[in-house]
Order: sequence, then C-alpha cells, then structure tokens
Amino acid sequence: AAMAPGKKIRARIKRTLPVRGPQAPTLSELMRWYCLNTNTHGCRRIVVSRGRLRRFIWILLTLSAVGLILWQCAELLINYYSASVSVTVQFQKLPFPAVTICNINPYKYSAMKDYLSELDKETKKALETFYGFSEGKSKVRRSVDGWNSTASDFFRQIPLLHFEDFSRTVTDFRSGQKRKIEGSVFHKDSSIVNSGDSNDIIGFQLCDANNSSECALYTFSSGVNAIQEWYKLHYMNIMAQIPLETKENLSYSADDLLLTCFFDGLSCDKRHFTRFHHPLHGNCYTFNSGESGTVLSTSTAGSEYGLQVVLYIDEADYNPFLVTSTGAKIIVHDQNEYPFIEDIGTEIETAAATSIGMHFTRSRKLSEPYSDCTETGADIPVENLYNKSYSLQICLHSCFQKAMVDSCGCAQYAQPLPAGAEYCNYKKNPNWMYCYYKLHEKFVKEQLGCQQICKDACSFKEWALTTSIAQWPSAVSEDWMLRVLSWDKGQKINKKLNKTDLVNLMVFYEDLNERFISENPANTLVTLLSNFGGQLGLWMSCSVVCVIEIVEVFFIDSVSIVMRHQWQKAKKWWNNRKRDRSGKPPQAGDLERQGHDNPACIDEDLPTFNTALRLPLPQGSPLPRTPPPNYSTLRLQTAFTEQLPDTLEVGQH
Amino acid sequence: MNLKKYFIRALHRLQKGPGYTYKELLVWYCDNTNTHGPKRIIKEGPKKKFIWFFLTLLFASLVFWQWGILINTYLSYNVTSSLSIGFKTMKFPAVTVCNANPFKYSEVKHLLKDLDRLIEAALERILQPTPGNSSENVSPSLNMELWNQIPLVLIDEHDKDNPIILDIFESDQPAGNEIFMSNETSMDNETATPPAPANVTSEEKKYKLAVKLCSHEGSDNCTYRNFSSAAQAVSEWYVLQSTSILAKVPLQDRIRMGYQAEDMILACLYGAEPCNYKNFTQIYHPDHGNCYIFNWGMDEEALNSSNPGAEFGLKLILDISQQDYIPYLSSAAGARLMLHQQKSFPFLKDQGIYAMVGTETSIGVLVDELERMGYPYSDCTVNGSDVPVKNLYSQYNTSYSIQACLRSCFQNHMIETCGCGHYMFPLPEGVNYCNNEDNPGWAYCYSSLRSSIRDRQICIDSCKETCNDTQYKMTISMADWPSEASEDWIFHILSYERDMSTNVTLDRNGIIKLNIYFQEYNYRTISESAATTIVWLLSNLGGQFGFWMGGSVLCLIEFGEIIIDSLWITVIHVISWCKGLKQKRAQVRYPDAPPTVSELVEAHTNLGFQPEDAGTLPRDEALPPEPGTPPPNYDSLRVQPLDVLGPDSDAE
Repeated sequence: AAMAPGKKIRARIKRTLPVRGPQAPTLSELMRWYCLNTNTHGCRRIVVSRGRLRRFIWILLTLSAVGLILWQCAELLINYYSASVSVTVQFQKLPFPAVTICNINPYKYSAMKDYLSELDKETKKALETFYGFSEGKSKVRRSVDGWNSTASDFFRQIPLLHFEDFSRTVTDFRSGQKRKIEGSVFHKDSSIVNSGDSNDIIGFQLCDANNSSECALYTFSSGVNAIQEWYKLHYMNIMAQIPLETKENLSYSADDLLLTCFFDGLSCDKRHFTRFHHPLHGNCYTFNSGESGTVLSTSTAGSEYGLQVVLYIDEADYNPFLVTSTGAKIIVHDQNEYPFIEDIGTEIETAAATSIGMHFTRSRKLSEPYSDCTETGADIPVENLYNKSYSLQICLHSCFQKAMVDSCGCAQYAQPLPAGAEYCNYKKNPNWMYCYYKLHEKFVKEQLGCQQICKDACSFKEWALTTSIAQWPSAVSEDWMLRVLSWDKGQKINKKLNKTDLVNLMVFYEDLNERFISENPANTLVTLLSNFGGQLGLWMSCSVVCVIEIVEVFFIDSVSIVMRHQWQKAKKWWNNRKRDRSGKPPQAGDLERQGHDNPACIDEDLPTFNTALRLPLPQGSPLPRTPPPNYSTLRLQTAFTEQLPDTLEVGQH
Repeated sequence: MNLKKYFIRALHRLQKGPGYTYKELLVWYCDNTNTHGPKRIIKEGPKKKFIWFFLTLLFASLVFWQWGILINTYLSYNVTSSLSIGFKTMKFPAVTVCNANPFKYSEVKHLLKDLDRLIEAALERILQPTPGNSSENVSPSLNMELWNQIPLVLIDEHDKDNPIILDIFESDQPAGNEIFMSNETSMDNETATPPAPANVTSEEKKYKLAVKLCSHEGSDNCTYRNFSSAAQAVSEWYVLQSTSILAKVPLQDRIRMGYQAEDMILACLYGAEPCNYKNFTQIYHPDHGNCYIFNWGMDEEALNSSNPGAEFGLKLILDISQQDYIPYLSSAAGARLMLHQQKSFPFLKDQGIYAMVGTETSIGVLVDELERMGYPYSDCTVNGSDVPVKNLYSQYNTSYSIQACLRSCFQNHMIETCGCGHYMFPLPEGVNYCNNEDNPGWAYCYSSLRSSIRDRQICIDSCKETCNDTQYKMTISMADWPSEASEDWIFHILSYERDMSTNVTLDRNGIIKLNIYFQEYNYRTISESAATTIVWLLSNLGGQFGFWMGGSVLCLIEFGEIIIDSLWITVIHVISWCKGLKQKRAQVRYPDAPPTVSELVEAHTNLGFQPEDAGTLPRDEALPPEPGTPPPNYDSLRVQPLDVLGPDSDAE
C-alpha cells in the first residue's frame, strides 16, 4: 500500500514528461521505426528493400545524398559573404566638382628674396664649383665676394659632397678637403649607379647630431636631382619658420592668378574661389569649394558650360632652383576631399588651351564583413589631421606625421600640424633631417605599420579626365587677345602680357551620365535559406521538420534507449549480485514474458498488445491459453491503419 | 432533396475517403499530406502534438514571410553586372576631324568685314588709357547699324552703388531703369558668395565690359551681360554678331567657305592600307564648319581592326592653315577630333578633343561599353522612339543619343519662345535661323533661355539615355613633330603633293599628325543581366517551402483540394440546415433528431466499424476481461495506443 502512491507518482511523471520515450525498445527497432515514418526519402527504401545488394545500394545512395547536402550547404555558407557589383548609369544634373588651381611656383621669387638670398647664393656657388656653371661674370663675382664674407650655415648643416669614386673618398664642397666617409650610402635615384661615371656622383650626408658617427649618405646619379633635393631641404627649413599669414602674402593672390573666369555660360570672378594654402604649392584657389554652403551644378554638358579660366603665370618670378617646370597644376576633387595636389595634380602647359573633359563615377563598397574598408574613418586609430573627410591618403599622411612627431619631436613641413607640435627647423631640431630620412625610409618599406592600419574608404567619387591641348592663342588672334587681357589685368599697366605667361584651362563634363558602381550582397538570408531548402529537398526531400526529426530520433530517443539499456543492465547486475549473495533462484516471471516474443512487454510504456488493449496479464498461469500472434509484425503493414482514427472520431460524435 | 443527393454524389466522386466532417477532413489531410509538419501533429502524443502544432504554424508563417520578401525582391527588378576586359576584333571607331576654326577667313572676309572693323575700333577705344572721355568722331566707314543691334558697353564701377554705363561709341548715359541681369548678381544669388574683401586695393579694375541685349531695338527692356574679363566679352559679342550674319548664308555657301577635304587631309593610312580624303564623309558642323568623318559606316561597311598598336590604326596628317583663322571667332588653334560610334552624330563641343599644331598626337583607344537592360530594369531607351522630343538630328540619318535629344529639345524651345532657330543646331521644317534683321530680339531671347535653369531641367527630364552606352576612353600622348632634322623634307613632300609646287606652303603652325589605334586591351564591356528571373523566383520559393516544411507545388494543390472539400462540406451542411429549418417549421414529426449527414453517409460507406459507444468509455470496463476470441481492433494498436491512454489516465 505504501508503494502504490509512489508508483503512481512515478507513472504520472513518466507520462507528463515531454519526452514520452522512444517508439521502440531497442536501437534497431528505433531505426526501423524512424526509417518507416520519416519524411526524408532515402531511409525508407533501406528498410523496405529486399535483398542485401539492393539494401546496400540504398544505404550508399542515402549516405552520398547526405554527403552532397553537407558539401553543398557548406559551399553556400562559405560563399554567403560575397558581393555582386552593379553599375547604374543615371543621366541627371550633376554637381560640379571642386577644382583646385595652383601655380607650380609656390611663392613669388621677388618677394622671397629676403628669405632665400643666402641659400640661393650658396647654391649658385655650389653649381660653379662642381660644374663650372655661372650665370654671368658680374653675378659670379658678387657671389664669390659674398661667399667669403658669409659664414655658411647651410653647408655646415648638410654638406654637399662630391664623390671621387667608390673608394669613399669625397670632396667636401665647402672646405675642398678630401676625406674618407663613414656610414651607409643610400642612392636616391637608383640602386644601380653607373660605375663608368663615378666622378659625377654627388650627394649629401646626414648625420645624427647626437652621435656624429651615425651618418647616412645620400647620393644621386645626377647633379640636377642632388642640387634640387638639397635645395628643397633647406627651403623647407626656412619656410617652416615663417608664419602662415606672411606666407600667404608672399604667395599669389587671386587677382594675380586669375585673369578671366567663366562658368556655365556666366562670368565668375575671384569671389567664387576659396583660398587654400598648400605648404609646397603656396596659395591655391579652389573653385566651387562649397564653403559658402552651395555647390554649383551643371545641367548641360560640353565645353561651353564648364569652367573656363585664363591664368596668369608670372614666369619671370619663378624660383629657379625649387621648380623647373612652368605652368599651373590643377586637381579635380570632391568638395569634402582634401586636394593632394603634389600627388595627383595635373600639370597645365602655358601658351596652350587645355581642355579637360570629365566623366563622373561614384563607387561604393560594402564594408565589413564583405570587404575591409571604412565608411567614415572613425574606426581607424589614426587622427585625421586634415579638416576633410577620410581617405586612404589622408590616413597615410596623418600616420606618418604622427610618427614623425613621436620620433623626431617636430612635424614635417608638407603636412598639417598635429595639436601641440610645430614644424621642424634647424634651430630647434638640429637632428630632424636625419630623423626624417630614416623615418621616411621606414615608411616606404612599410615598417611603420601605417599601411596596415589605414584602410580604403568605402565610397569614393572619381572624375576621369581626358586632357587635350590646343595652341592658344592662335597666330592670328594672339595680338588682340594679349592686348585685351593686358587691359583686363590692370588698366594702368601698359606692359603687354607674354603668351608664355598665360594658361587657358577648360574643365567640363563630357556627358551628364553618372556611373554609380556599387557592391551589393550577393546573398541575403532569404536566398541562403531557400538555397539550403533547395539542396535538402533535391537530394533527400528533407526540411527543417526532418532536421528536428533527426534530432529527436538520433539524439533524444537513441540516448534514452541506450541509457535505459544501461540502466537495466546495471539493475540486472545488481539483482544478480544481490541474488548471489542471498542465494535465491531467479524469478520465473521474466521467463514468462520472454515467451510472448514481444520485447515491448518488458517496458510498461510501450504500446504492446497488452497495454494497448488493456488485456490483463495472465496471472497465475504461466502460459496463455491462446498465444497471441506476434503482433510486432503487424507494424510493417501500415497501409490499413489510417482509417482507424477517423472511425474513432466518428464514434465519439 | 435531389440537390442534396447530387451534392453528396459529387462529393463522393470528388473524394474517396477523407471524411464527412471538418474534423475528419482535417485529420485525413494531416495524415496524408506531403507537407512535413501536419503528420507529426497527428502522430505524436498530446504534449508533442502541441509542440508540433506550434512548430508547423511557425514554419508556415516563416514560409509566407520569406515568400513575401522574395516576391518583393523579384518585383524590384535588380540587375547584376558582368565585366569583361580583353582584346577582340572590333569595329574601328568613326573618327571625325575638324578644324577649330569654322571658315577660311579669306573666304568670309567680305561678310565679316564690317564686324571686324567695328571690333577693332571698339578695342581701340576701350584700350585707351582713359576710355570714354575723349569723344572722337566715329569714323564714317563703321557700320553702326550692326553695332546698335547688340552694342558693347563699358560699365564704370568707380562708384559701386551707382555704376555708369558708357556706350563705347556714344556719349555717357546714366544707368537707367534697365534690369541688371549681370552675371555676377545672378551667380551671387546662386552661390551666395561672400562679398569681396573690404581691403580692395585701388588697382582693382574699375571698368567692365558688358554686352547690352534688348528685346527690341531701342526698347527699354534690356539686360547687360556682364563679364569679368574683356576678352570674354569681346569673344561672346563677336560670336553673337557673326552668328547672326552667317545665319543668312545658305548652307551650300557655308560649305564652300569652310575647309575642303583635299586641303585639310594631307595623308591618311589605315593599318597598312593607304586612304585619302575621299574615304572621309563630309558633314557640316555649325561650330567647326566642314568636318570629315572616317569610317562613319553610312554607305559602306565599317572597318574592323584586329590588331592592337599604332601600326594597325589610323594615321593622319592634317593641315589647319592657322594663318587663315578668323581672329576674333576662335582663339585656340588646332584640330578638333572626336571618336564616336558608327552612324552617330559627332558632338564635338561635348566630347571632342584638341590636337595641337606642330605635334604628333597618339591616341590609344579603349572601348568602354555599357549594355543595359531596358524597361523595367532601368529607364533607358533603345532607339529613342519613346522619347517625347522630336529628334532634329534624324535628318543626318544618325542614331539617337542623349546629346541629340538635349539639343533638339533646346532648339524646339527656342523656336517656341523666340520664333527662330539657333544657328548651332539643326532646323526643323519651315523655320529659319535667327538673325538680327528678322528677329531683332533673338540674342536677348536666346541668352535668357540659355540661362534659364527651368528650361534645362525640362529637357533633362524628358530625354532618356540610351541603353547601350559606348565611350571611347583615350590615352593621349604628344610629341613634337616633325623633328627638326626631318622638318625640311616632310614639308617639302607634303607641299608638293597638295599644291603640286616645289615651294613649301606648309609650316609648323598648321601641321598635325594623328595616330589613333586600339590599346592592348581594347574593350571593357559591362553588361547587365537580370538578377532575379522567374526561374530564380520559383526555385527560391520552392527552396523556402521545402526548407521549412518539405513542401512543393503538389502540397499547395493538396491544400487547395482540402479547401474545396471543406467548401463541399459547408454546402452540404448549409443545405441540411436549411432543410432542417424547413422541416422544423413544418412539423416536428419524429421525437428523435434526424440522422446527420455523416451518419447517413457512414451507413453507406461502412468504413469498417460502426461507431461504438464503448469508444468513449474506458476500455477496461467495456471489453470483456478475457479476449477469448479476438479479433481485437488491431489497427488501433499502432495508431492510437498513446492517445487512448492519455484521456483515460487523465480521467482518473
């Protein structure tokens, strides 16, 4: 009586458990049951087929189908993060890009005389010493006179050296002494120096100021490059000490540069240009910079409707050592982009009409996880020193500048200043040149890590340019053109302009088609799932339901069967041990039940004949009067079963 | 009665076995459908039944949601692009070469004589140190009528607020009530540029040139087109005036005044084959006079080029005779050339490039094609027939292009507003070009139309781009030509060939060499294909349905079948209900309720067992304690044991 409620509770728990237990007492029964009732196709064939060969073939086919499914689905998953490219062309009113125009020469040479006279004098002297070049007798004499009186700072800082040969004997330009040189030699021009002309090798030496034995020697195959590079180093040094306002005044004003301006059939003037001071190019002027809040747009293509400007390039006022070409430099860019005019500018010839036709292309890449690009640059650990939107170039330059400030203690002149830093000059940072060259070499060899940190921008605008040149002004129009332009330049100057001082530039859209290249995800989750479904359905007619089935049968049911078997084994073993100890013979009841040939009888939960029909177990008598048929075999004949629930339902009505 | 019998019979015919109540039908469906979920609902125990019911519903709703997304994606008509780059034998592009100057000055001098004298005199006056003050007598030879139609004026801006307008050949006149449509003000409105900095130096220009445009001669409705540069003003004025003069000249004369092919094209070589000026098709272009098109493909087959490199391209030597340029009309000297598709009109102002005199210009060509799908994938036109603008360029027998459409659109507007056509664009039937005599206000009308943003936008909106867009990407490089050493003999031979004289008639200022050839990779084709086709849609729909529920179209049909069945059942129910109502109203004859339809049907069909009352009762009591003689209901062994047990135990 005490056991009854416990049994009852146990029975109830068994019933209420969500897992009612497997449909079969043994694993093979379970598999059989699964194969017969599953929704997938192959499995049933295995059970139903007769003959070993056929069954084997079906097992093989089913397994290979499973393999195929796994393979294909893995492929689908791997290719999930791929992108497809779409190109759309839209014909529309296009925003006109910002056009930044610079004179190739950064500052008026006449205005720079105060700052550069010493340097120029020494450069000329060097030219005379090395190459015997002199501009004219009188000038040379003057410079020679000046030479003796001036204590040369420039050559003390960076000596210009003339190499005799490869024996590392050099002539110091200043002292004229020959000496051996220590340190590593860097060839700026190429790694292979023409050995036949070793006499012509010229270079300069940069030493670590703190440790004079640490020297790097830079050599150039051509004196032109050596002199220019040497000059540029000193020039940057001098310019770094001049405040920005002064520099802006030293450079060209908008009135100086612009002679005429015409945009979209309308006249424009300097008010449409924004000044932009570039460290290496002086004052540049940006047309349509968008700073006033509006961006001009073009609604008609063609040269008449673009920007047409005539620039005045005062060739006589050029710095002879800093720049050796004449003309203007322009760059077409977006309003939010920083014009890297020294990197990607287009040079414009004087005495010619340059027409630049543009095609506009906008591109957008997908960011993570499709590709490694950045939308805004906010996720890049490099501070953007430029006041413009992110680009790879901005990142690289900022990164280098930061490294420069960190290791050399001052900022490089060509790039903007980080907060709290100042430009390098010899007075404060005697060592910067050596440091800069070392660092730059590291940067180029990708040892600074900048190239790894900086990522592409995900979207960018590009203007493809087609440049062509015509002679301008033409022979017959030259006369009146120059006269009228001189009048334009300033009525009081009677001097007629020279055509080599003029640059005519036209920037226009060739067509108003905007090409938009965008990456789209090639797969969405929906297509991925439907592809899965297609694969599963094609090979095995399987669905998520089957997957759940498989989980149910192969994991829950099988495990529970195995567990139960183990439990019964353990119980049996325990009983046996107990019996062995007590010496009691085994109960007859076990044998009786085995006689039914229905293994289900062992388990109370199973739908055996007895439990189903609520047949009372034959009690007392060991043998049933009429042995029931082996009902388990009935299970194969499923075809008739369907009617039963219907009739039962009907009966309840 | 007959009707009911008919329906029942029809039902019999339709279905064999599902059952005659909704429940039967549903159970039958769940048991027999090929969709995966429902079967589980029937076959599992009560707890699992619930889980499976929930899962099936969830999966069904997932399937419908995803189908919605898929159909939406399909209807958005996305495209995918494929890019191919390489070299193949392609049609060599049509090459149009023109002189930057439209007419020989020697030929048009008699027409422009008055104008030139005027501009020279005007420049003389302007360039004086103090213009406007000295009142010289206008020389009698000047054609003041021409001047007065569109005069140039000088604006004295010494006093910013009160500019004085000086007519160059007349006495001062104060700025009256004329409307200032100066460019600067209009640009300022657009751009809102900050005013000029306050520290304007005294060197700033005080005089400006402007073109006075009046709607009628002598009327007060005038605008001043203001120019920041005198050079620009003079060129603009000259273009307006010369346009008016040349508009009156018939086309034949204009062609005669232009450059002739035999004068301009000195040498021509295509691949290894010689060609000459006769291989070029003449076309009259308003901007550039006579233009010559090589390989236009109008009469003859287009030439193919099957090799990359300069050796297999087109080589031309042109003479543009710079000395014969019209001085005020075009200030740039060179040849204008353009590469375009066969049978298309060359719009040199848009896509033409210059070739400089005294140089050899090499042009490597890459054909950049874009093939797009038409409607509904993108809004483009195949041949322009669906564009609501009359294509005026069809008179040249050329294909539709967006430039042609825009220009036609402008010309149509011009004809509507101003009553005459602009000289730069082709004319429709029965309209004349504008000139100062017949249409005195045309310049005013034209410049207001040209600067009207609204009109431009209308044209942009009504024109469509073509579906096949071909661009010729050019890589241009230049070198001096001829070299100093070869100069003499080259000029000598070319002069001899052209003029049959031993005198050298050519010089560096007129000679141009051109090489046009395909690059190593000569095409880059971006072609679109539909990203979502009907096949794609079906396979994805099937995939979704199969993935979640293992279903197919057949399952949908099954479902439809069940709906039809249930409709039948409803119909039968309604009929029987109506009948019952009628009978009830008539008389309740029998104390018992009449047998239901399903009972009657069961009586006929005998589905094996009559409904047992015992079925509802626990079987322990209903069945005899000993199954002496089976048959037990064997079928119930498998399907129902758990179900039967469930309610039993619950009832305890």
